[in-house]
Amino acid sequence: MTSRPLALFLAALALPALASAESVIEGRVALPKTHAAPVMNKRYEIVTKGGVLATNPPLAVVYLEGAFSPPATPPVVQMAQKDLTFLPLLLPVQVGTKVEFPNFDDQYHNIFSYSPAKRFDLGRYRPDEKPVPSQMFPTAGLVTLRCDIHEHMRGLILVLPTPHFVVTEPDGRFRLGGLPAGRYILKAWINSQTTLERPVELTADSVLHMDFP
Amino acid sequence: MNSRRVRLLGLLLALLPAARGAEDFFERLDQALTVSAFDDRARARLSGTLDLEGYALSQPSPGLLYTAGHALFNPRLSTFLDVQLGDQFYAFAQARADRGFDPSDESFEPRLDEYAVRFTPSRDGRFNVQVGKFATVVGHWVSRHGSWDNPFITAPLPYEHLTGIWDIAPPRSALQLQNWAHVLPTSSPALEYAEKPRRTPVIWGPSYASGISVFGHAGKFDYAAELKNAALSSHPEVWTARRIPWADPTVSARLGYRPNAMWNLGFSASSGAYLRPSADPLLPPGQNRGDYRETVLAQDVAFAWHHVQLWSEIYHARFEIPRIGHADTTAYYVEAKYKFTPRFFGAMRWNQQLFATLPDGKGGRAAWGREVWRIDFAPTYRFTPQTQLKLQSSLLHDPSGPQGHSLTHAAQFTLRF
Repeated sequence: MTSRPLALFLAALALPALASAESVIEGRVALPKTHAAPVMNKRYEIVTKGGVLATNPPLAVVYLEGAFSPPATPPVVQMAQKDLTFLPLLLPVQVGTKVEFPNFDDQYHNIFSYSPAKRFDLGRYRPDEKPVPSQMFPTAGLVTLRCDIHEHMRGLILVLPTPHFVVTEPDGRFRLGGLPAGRYILKAWINSQTTLERPVELTADSVLHMDFP
Repeated sequence: MNSRRVRLLGLLLALLPAARGAEDFFERLDQALTVSAFDDRARARLSGTLDLEGYALSQPSPGLLYTAGHALFNPRLSTFLDVQLGDQFYAFAQARADRGFDPSDESFEPRLDEYAVRFTPSRDGRFNVQVGKFATVVGHWVSRHGSWDNPFITAPLPYEHLTGIWDIAPPRSALQLQNWAHVLPTSSPALEYAEKPRRTPVIWGPSYASGISVFGHAGKFDYAAELKNAALSSHPEVWTARRIPWADPTVSARLGYRPNAMWNLGFSASSGAYLRPSADPLLPPGQNRGDYRETVLAQDVAFAWHHVQLWSEIYHARFEIPRIGHADTTAYYVEAKYKFTPRFFGAMRWNQQLFATLPDGKGGRAAWGREVWRIDFAPTYRFTPQTQLKLQSSLLHDPSGPQGHSLTHAAQFTLRF
């Protein structure tokens, strides 16, 4: 065995140990009641896609607040439009992330936001539009997305000053892994009105259980 | 500026700061006004718009504005109910409270303008059938005639410029028709305003007549056809089914082609009896209202790409008139909208209407209507996703009218919920 393969072998053996040195927080967020699915306005349009839109179960975003350095290169994530709905409906991103908005429907969308954290209007763009319309999100805050053509469409981008965040499951459970040791504030964003928080102290290679009632 | 306009401006300015901070409130209101049952298979949503609009105009008042004065304040509350039952049934209704279907200085009144039930057998939308009282399938303006979606405060010329045609009685001669159209120099603003309620345009706004329609799409084509109780030019008061018997229905259709998302092309046709029952005694012996029809052919084209939207429609209408023959008119407009910023956009529209000639009774021929063109400018600023302020200035060129040119200014504040 030469020295290079030996080094790789040793590194592979060491990986699980390195991973387990990071901490995990898991728990559950008590989510509000599910809202009724939106009703599409079809009064003056021949809408080609079905009439029953998906129910939007409330979800929360759990994130670790602390002094984290911004990403060296901007992460790129997508928030698509499919079947006249945003996919995903709630997207947490780190400050400095570039979000692409691909259109997977067979008609125009016109995504816009009037939120103070990011104000933009992509205009009308086709499904095959290249490059895919995108926006940078340099400021923390909540960005509410709408479509100028389909008034029932709503999407949320939560821009966070941290790389450590996770969206809960529909039953409220979450698992936030890969966390560095230290003292932080753990926050649960539930909606534009409600963000809960708890101080946490993480030690290396630990699993912390934390619920937000 | 008179005190009424000062009060309107003050009210708008007072509303703006409140509107800016109210986005969360309207989100919660929307959720509260949406109800569902049977595991979301049955859902209903109540929504609406509150419009506060004012006009500064000269006489005779242009288009479908009904006032003998030089200023008009027209508040309007529109409420919409959308109901979805499973995949296949959809129903909607629109109720309004305002000073008349078109802006006027009448007293405030509530009214049910639209109601319909739609059945869609398959989820692909290939075929739909709808029954009720609802907007016409003709043309392409209907989809943006609401105050929030219309880049202008008023309708394009073909939808509001009044011709000399009356639906309560036919003219006895071509000369009388020309008198009703006020093409002769003796016309006065006062007389013109007095006769205004009797006159009709080529197509009356969205034409919420009663009837049944079928529509759907197949590939890049979409189609729509309707059987309604009133012709496109009919007054709003005859749109309800009980006002006009079904002896002479109006048949209309539109065939659309969408080569891609950018373009939307359409061809429409309509034919229907336009005279009311009050005209029966004035018809030639052996004739009935069904023998005198309004026939309309129309083409529409729409284009959209990024922040630009363009629309154009051309209408050719023929009114068959007892003892006279037929009177033809052509009206068209070209409209452009551009978003300068996420919240500020502007629109410009060129409109024109031309009239064919009829014998003038002196051995010659004369146009049976006043040929006009109009140019409209309208900037709009959206304060929030629920509030916007729109301004409009319109220059009407009416060379044979009492004034030649006239300017109309309008402002409209809309609150959407």
